[in-house]
Amino acid sequence: MAATRVMASAGNAVSAPQSLDLCFRNGRLLTQNKRLFFVHDFGKKLMLSVVHSFPCAHRSRRFTTAVRAESTNGSEPSAHYDFDLFTIGAGSGGVRASRFAANFGAKVAVCELPFATISSDSAGGVGGTCVLRGCVPKKLLVYASKFSHEFEESGGFGWSYEAEPKHDWSTLIANKNAELQRLVGIYKNILKNSGVMLLEGRGKIVDPHTVDVNGKLYSAKNILIAVGGRPFIPDIPGSEYAIDSDAALDLPSKPKKIAIVGGGYIAVEFAGIFNGLKSDVHVFIRQKKLLRGFDEEVRDFLGEQMSLRGIDIHSEETPQAIVKSSDGLLSVKTNKGTVDGFTHVMFATGRKPNTKNLGLEAAGVNLSKNGAIEVDEFSRTSVPSIWAVGDVTDRINLTPVALMEGGALAKTLFANEPTKPDHSAVPCAVFSQPPIGQVGLTEDQAVKEYGDIDIYTSNFRPLKATLSGLPDRVFMKLIVCAKTNKVIGLHMCGEESAEIVQGFAVAVKAGLTKADFDATIGIHPTAAEEFVTMRTPTRKIRSAPSEILMPKLLLVFDSSLCNEKLLHQRIYMYGQSTPGQLSDLSRCPSPDSYAYAVDEREVAKAAVKNVFLLFTFLHRCDFSLLCKQVKFDFGAKLDKVFELILKLYSVGLCNVSS
Amino acid sequence: MARKMLIDGELDKANEAESHYDFDLFVIGAGSGGVRASRFSAQNGAKVAICELPFHPISSEVIGGVGGTCVIRGCVPKKILVYGASFGPELEDARNYGWDVNEKIDFNWKKLLQKKTEEINRLNGIYKRLLSGAGVKLFEGEGRVIGPNEVEVIQLDGTKISYSAKHILIATGSRAQRLPIPGQELGITSDEALSLEELPKHAVILGGGYIAVEFASIWRGMGAKVDLFYRKDLPLRGFDDEMREVVAKNLEGRGIKLHPSTNLKELSKTEGGVKVLTDHGEEIVADVVLFATGRTPNSKRLNLEAVGVELDKAGAIKVNQYSQTNMPSIWAIGDVTNRMNLTPVALMEGTCFANTVFGGKPMAPDYSNIACAVFCIPPLSVVGLSEQEAVEKAKGDILIFTSTFNPMKNTISGRQEKTMMKLVVDAETDKVLGASMCGPDAAEIMQGIAIALKCGATKAQFESTVGIHPSAAEEFVTMRSATRRVSAGTAKPRTNL
Repeated sequence: MAATRVMASAGNAVSAPQSLDLCFRNGRLLTQNKRLFFVHDFGKKLMLSVVHSFPCAHRSRRFTTAVRAESTNGSEPSAHYDFDLFTIGAGSGGVRASRFAANFGAKVAVCELPFATISSDSAGGVGGTCVLRGCVPKKLLVYASKFSHEFEESGGFGWSYEAEPKHDWSTLIANKNAELQRLVGIYKNILKNSGVMLLEGRGKIVDPHTVDVNGKLYSAKNILIAVGGRPFIPDIPGSEYAIDSDAALDLPSKPKKIAIVGGGYIAVEFAGIFNGLKSDVHVFIRQKKLLRGFDEEVRDFLGEQMSLRGIDIHSEETPQAIVKSSDGLLSVKTNKGTVDGFTHVMFATGRKPNTKNLGLEAAGVNLSKNGAIEVDEFSRTSVPSIWAVGDVTDRINLTPVALMEGGALAKTLFANEPTKPDHSAVPCAVFSQPPIGQVGLTEDQAVKEYGDIDIYTSNFRPLKATLSGLPDRVFMKLIVCAKTNKVIGLHMCGEESAEIVQGFAVAVKAGLTKADFDATIGIHPTAAEEFVTMRTPTRKIRSAPSEILMPKLLLVFDSSLCNEKLLHQRIYMYGQSTPGQLSDLSRCPSPDSYAYAVDEREVAKAAVKNVFLLFTFLHRCDFSLLCKQVKFDFGAKLDKVFELILKLYSVGLCNVSS
Repeated sequence: MARKMLIDGELDKANEAESHYDFDLFVIGAGSGGVRASRFSAQNGAKVAICELPFHPISSEVIGGVGGTCVIRGCVPKKILVYGASFGPELEDARNYGWDVNEKIDFNWKKLLQKKTEEINRLNGIYKRLLSGAGVKLFEGEGRVIGPNEVEVIQLDGTKISYSAKHILIATGSRAQRLPIPGQELGITSDEALSLEELPKHAVILGGGYIAVEFASIWRGMGAKVDLFYRKDLPLRGFDDEMREVVAKNLEGRGIKLHPSTNLKELSKTEGGVKVLTDHGEEIVADVVLFATGRTPNSKRLNLEAVGVELDKAGAIKVNQYSQTNMPSIWAIGDVTNRMNLTPVALMEGTCFANTVFGGKPMAPDYSNIACAVFCIPPLSVVGLSEQEAVEKAKGDILIFTSTFNPMKNTISGRQEKTMMKLVVDAETDKVLGASMCGPDAAEIMQGIAIALKCGATKAQFESTVGIHPSAAEEFVTMRSATRRVSAGTAKPRTNL
């Protein structure tokens, strides 16, 4: 066919006497598994063809090493090694891997630095970050700080206090430390009871099968590095006055006024903690919003709720220096000015893998640019006998993920069951106030990966807040793949989000659909029931008009004749339709899509005199977006448009090729 | 609107044929089920009317209110009081976290009551607007069924107006009942308990169901002395026995005096309040005696027998799987049918009704794996089968996974109360048949688990889900080894406790 071939794609609008203009939304087409090409024949023949393209791999493929039998069969005698497994680091991942390995019959040793609440090159402690300097102490402080909000709430429920409850920092810290000591004891016992030998001291790799602890050498068939990460403070003038999250969890006194630098989860959690304990809290973030990487709407919502609770968020304000004044107070100099009077400045500016001085480079273990150990899907490093799990590999830095990686590794090495940890649909929580829970993709990720998605949101005032009178709200969001109906993302910000999301995470992980959610009956009255009672999508996102390929019913708006209201009455049906399609038609369009259509019409009107908007309607096809995507500018009469449309479809339908 | 135009084309024809009816649907009762059914029917193009009794917190034959039991006398006000009561124990918990709350603390019941009433009035208004927004005509008055297609509304002034309707839906709900013992009039039901003038100093509660344990927790949390009497060994018959034990232990741990296997014989008035005589010969004087002894369907004054609608022994309207009574034009949903008396179930029945009758999509409500919660403090929430039910129904072995743990918050508060979770798993198919939890946030936690169960999730799928740390809920995905295996047929389920 001698045709002029025109590919319509993003930023490449076609103009021709009779032109088709396909507006793809900024590059989303790239992640579609179908691409549309219009083959335009000026001899008045139109052909529509589809080119199937493979979805782009959105994650870089990791090099997969086949797990070799000789290094995996831990039950084989390994007499020439002191241990089957030597683990460096007794945090969540290390303890889990060691215990499970021992349970599978391996001879295991683990070494850990001496206990201290603040970590360093020479201090750590059994239990690791989670127990000593992370999840646990953080959550305990969150509990403590939440009470002040409850005191406020209780007023609306008839409770009153002669004097406002006061908080004593030292009681809290003493009780917290007692609890941590108890947990360290429990962890040590767990190791002991599973037959793992615990060595205190700094482990260093001497060669692929040898570890040095305090000058003593131990040989091992496999070495596991699970040394975790540590907070990182950027080097700015006065950074020596700043504290990190380790120190913030164990301060001798409560900050009166604290600057928290950073917008990540640690920053927002500590902002909530100190705000709840009645410190004056200022958060400095480089970006416009908190929590980069989280769903945009959740970020907006949390920022609003935190501000309402009295936290001062300085967005796009980066500290450049800290100055100590004569009264001992700290000033923070930023790109926008100076904020004075801080008793404390805390940096929550990220964490770095603890890979220095471990002998890794000498042993030939590859590190990434940020110092994380590079591993394959089985957590194996570039040295076959050396493995790594947890934060030191900087995959998903969460305790339960380290547990999963540790458990999988033990199975791989000592149970003859090569197991890859599955990093998909890992739920997580931010214990901000209010907290966040999430599982699966954010909206942006979902659009990139799936293109066509439906978004369901709910932003409501919970029953408790209607009585308490506080401005607390709850935000919930479901992201559904339009094609498969699967729930691919679930987000919540509001009281008990972390607890609520866990069960939903099981559902998301199991690949359940929105229909499955809808079929589940609510538990009344709860906040969580909202997730199973979201009936109408808030919006639908369609990236490319690939669905045009299967028209069931064509509708043409004669936009020159109508105002907004008339528009609704001026839908002409064209082509064949069945009653079933009619009922679909009655169900699908939302008032929003009409509004959308009107806007589009206005735009088009300005451009040309006689504009027709073509709407293709089919199951799960969104009016509004199609209307945005497909514009016909023919400068022609109605019947000519019809003729052309018909041609387009008749040819298109029988010429689907790859 | 175009879409309207297109559907109306179909409906218009239908309407022509049936134009001799005033309405396509007349609903008696504007509670959860009735409101849902009428709104959805209207959205499907039906002409709908609904009638409801005048509003008041305490229901009677002639008092009700738009919103029904859930909004006015059930879920909502109950949950508000539970919130109010939870602050009491919270204050105790705060101390070890460094909060000095030893100063005088006051709880003002009247203030809470007033705020609760404000909230309920607000919700009542919202429901009314929902109806008018959906184009449903609301009549205030008592509805009665006169014929298969005729309803009579007795208005507030006593005048009667009758309307014809192609379909009649009865959604009149149920009401709390007292026990027929001497002096029963001295006791109150949950209706009054939600609107008491004064907070009781000493309350006696009779009943072992969810209403009984919820009020026990509410009053105890607000500082009252509470005696709870029930006929069985444990409260909450029908729930998992092990969870019942946990609830009983928690109630006791929070200072509620339990009187298992005890009935009340007689109430009498004394100077100090109401004297209660038990069948063990014990005497207690309390200022409030609450009968939480079940609810009866509101079917008496509807003239149903005269029209020929069948009722069961308990007075519930008999319906088929589509909520249709033996009279084809008369339907019934919600508590008045006494199937599963929960708000979300009434909503589901209402939706199914609207789809069946006016949506052209016959739809039977599905009662499997419906989660529910008991808002005692701490709450209990369950979905699917209890261990006893599973063992009874099982063809093969059942695996029981349990986890009993001290919630992290208690490690510092010092509260001696364990959280318990349980999964009941079919050993052969690995399917999770039942889940239950008793502990803080149980109701919120169970909702997501319910989806998994509804869709037949396996234990392996639970395990493949990564935990959210640190939460209580993560325990549901990290129970690795079974606590016990119960062989089918070998175990005698404990019943009748």
